[in-house]
Amino acid sequence: MSEISKLAELRKLLFEMERSIGLQNLSAAERDIYYAASDLAEVRRDVKTTRLQAHKLVIGISRPTFFRALKSLVNKGYLRQNAAAGRGFYHVESSR
Amino acid sequence: MTSDTGDSDLIKETVIISIAYVLAFAVTFKLLLPVQNIFFPKFPSYASLLFLPHGVRVLAAWLLGWRSVIALFPGVFFSFWYVAGMGVFEPSRLFAISVAVFIPAATFHTMRRLGVDLFPAAGKTPCWHCIVLTSITISALTASMTNIAITRTLNDLFAYLIGDFFGMFFLMTILMFFFRSLRQSEE
Repeated sequence: MSEISKLAELRKLLFEMERSIGLQNLSAAERDIYYAASDLAEVRRDVKTTRLQAHKLVIGISRPTFFRALKSLVNKGYLRQNAAAGRGFYHVESSR
Repeated sequence: MTSDTGDSDLIKETVIISIAYVLAFAVTFKLLLPVQNIFFPKFPSYASLLFLPHGVRVLAAWLLGWRSVIALFPGVFFSFWYVAGMGVFEPSRLFAISVAVFIPAATFHTMRRLGVDLFPAAGKTPCWHCIVLTSITISALTASMTNIAITRTLNDLFAYLIGDFFGMFFLMTILMFFFRSLRQSEE
């Protein structure tokens, strides 16, 4: 595991703590999609929607919930649509 | 990963973790303990109610596994040396240092063998309260084993357990608010 992913894992742990004590406003679906996107972004900077849907954290989420949560994550600034990379590509905001 | 990269990663991890351990130790004994002695004068003066280095030990072991033994060693050794001076080379203190660096990783690995794998992995949601609970086990094991080398009373052991638990929780809370404010400042 690289240095960056260790820091990402630590942030994931504390983000989870923040969520469970009620300081974070992400739903369970939004959280899982965000974690999955963070995982995939370690391999490739821009994450494709189809790869995100195939991720094991996301696979159990229904299609309508997935797209609703994805839209909400973009609105909240956790993910950003990357028009340059092509349709259906998202960038995980590094500050998260 | 080449062995050069692996070695350089281990050096970086060791520097970061040991500095974090020494900083946590300094904050505990130079800042928190004097305040504690004002508010809780009857609590054993050498046992901190918020022993932050325990949190560093647990989080390092969770993130690095066996590599945390090496990464923690310089920081733990320095902290013992700061307290005991050259007495750090006494067999009882060397044993206590070994226990402090070895038990956290050993506990996470033993739990994995027992079917409770808490180590971070891609596609896995971390269980923060499981890690806090594991930190209690680590604290109990560390205190009991250290007691073999350095005899303490039951009250001392209880004080160390309280300090380790609240130290772990407090450190995680500090880090949680740190990352939260970092996120919000960049929004």
